[in-house]
Amino acid sequence: MPSIVDLIAVSRAYGPRLALDDVHLALEPGELAFLVGPSGAGKTTLLKLINREIRPTNGEVWVDGIAAHSLKASRVPDLRRRVGVVFQDYKLLPRLTARENVALALQVGDLRVSDHEASERAIDALDAVGLGDRGASFPHQLSGGQQQRVAVARAVVAQPPLLIADEPTGNLDLENSWELMDLFGDIAAFGTAVLIATHNVEIVTRLQRRVLTLVAGRLVRDQPAGKTGRLAWLATS
Amino acid sequence: MAGNVVTARFPRRRMIQIVATNVFRFLFRGAARNWIRNLSSTAPALGSMTLLLLLSGVIGLSGFALVNLERVESSQASLLHVYIRDSATSTDVDALWDRLATDPRIGSVYYTTKAEALQRAQHIPGLPQIADAADSNPFPASLDVQVKNINDVAAIDAMVRNDLAVDPVSPTSYDRGAYQRIQAVLFGIAVAGLVFVALLGFVAVTVTLHSIRAAIHSRRDEVAIMQLVGAPRWMVRGPFVIEGAITGGLAGAAAGLVVFGLTMAGIAAGSDSFAQFAPGVTVTVAAFAAILVFTAGVGLGSGSSLVSLRRHLES
Repeated sequence: MPSIVDLIAVSRAYGPRLALDDVHLALEPGELAFLVGPSGAGKTTLLKLINREIRPTNGEVWVDGIAAHSLKASRVPDLRRRVGVVFQDYKLLPRLTARENVALALQVGDLRVSDHEASERAIDALDAVGLGDRGASFPHQLSGGQQQRVAVARAVVAQPPLLIADEPTGNLDLENSWELMDLFGDIAAFGTAVLIATHNVEIVTRLQRRVLTLVAGRLVRDQPAGKTGRLAWLATS
Repeated sequence: MAGNVVTARFPRRRMIQIVATNVFRFLFRGAARNWIRNLSSTAPALGSMTLLLLLSGVIGLSGFALVNLERVESSQASLLHVYIRDSATSTDVDALWDRLATDPRIGSVYYTTKAEALQRAQHIPGLPQIADAADSNPFPASLDVQVKNINDVAAIDAMVRNDLAVDPVSPTSYDRGAYQRIQAVLFGIAVAGLVFVALLGFVAVTVTLHSIRAAIHSRRDEVAIMQLVGAPRWMVRGPFVIEGAITGGLAGAAAGLVVFGLTMAGIAAGSDSFAQFAPGVTVTVAAFAAILVFTAGVGLGSGSSLVSLRRHLES
């Protein structure tokens, strides 16, 4: 099965500082993996490379068959439509309702989607994240956990092959964090590869999924699902 | 049993309608909403662009009138009036006529009687009062000589001014250097106008660039989200360009209307005197100038937005 994400000898420097150093990584469809490591280890840089917010200094980044490392700026939207993104701070448009926020992601990617179809699919996605009855609510009328679930609905409504999440539980309490992780598990079960950058040790240890550990820009450990151990070192990071 | 494959007809018309609706929403409706929302930050650009376009329109029309005036002056400067002495005999006048008419430097010769000279003077500001003040017709008969080349006028003047038929006190209408002086004044006015418009244009473009930059800055989160969900570049940049076009279009419409109104007011106030001060400026010309000002406004607004986007919006 071809990988959804392939990083081949990827390095990224910010001036003299090397944020990522010779990283090799492959992610399969339906795989859920955690990206862990101390602050400044290069987790966000790696996610930005996948989403082509930045280019690698060296190496190749392939996303669903697209060469992100050499992609022209005008073609970046094509790649972004294949990658759902979830952020710690939700990044919802405050002037749009939850339903409109989700529908927007559909219609900017495909102008052939009618308002009616976009609305129906947005409600379906909100239903899937347990917010079917809050479609008419504006972001400020929702709790942090609910906003994050709207962000997840927006990220997956176009059924992208890859979902990346940068500290998605950073602003959530434990209960909401677990609900969100259940959601990511369900998404992965439907075939979408999910890569989550997180500091949440408890979630990483209990879920027993694949764990990729970055330290000072280097991928120092790649533990397969079910063999993550106690990850005691994370508690001290 | 083999079945028939039935393919549904692709609803092309409906698809076009959906795409058009979405394009309209993302580009035009979004731009209009944002323009209204950002009106306070757009107001300085709107004001300065209106002023620029208004002055450009007025200066443009004045320039058009000056070009026509220069043509009239050029034509008049090559028309030499040779004033006939009241006591001149018809033989002397005929002899002078023959000399002029056979001169290869001269295009045509026309004899203007004293009565025609008086009639002509009635249309020239200031001269009717002179005619009224005099007991008899003060305007002499003349031979109106159209010289082919303006540079030969001085030589023709020298040739005829001592002729027996010519008035010795005021022999001709020739005024050495008058045409060059008019040309110099017109050139000076044109240069000053262009410099003024260039300066004002710089100010208007700078203010517009800053207002678009402010709009980009105030909506940077929205822009970032649009980019993250895969919005194509035209969808992210287009609304800003249209916002600029709206600003420029409104400024151009306002300025164009004022330019047209001012011209109409000038024509209504006195068509004869207006035609003398601004020759060639008609209602049609004013309407054309207004349309030009509007178009320039749209171009200035959208162009400034494009420049600002290139500078301040990352892809």
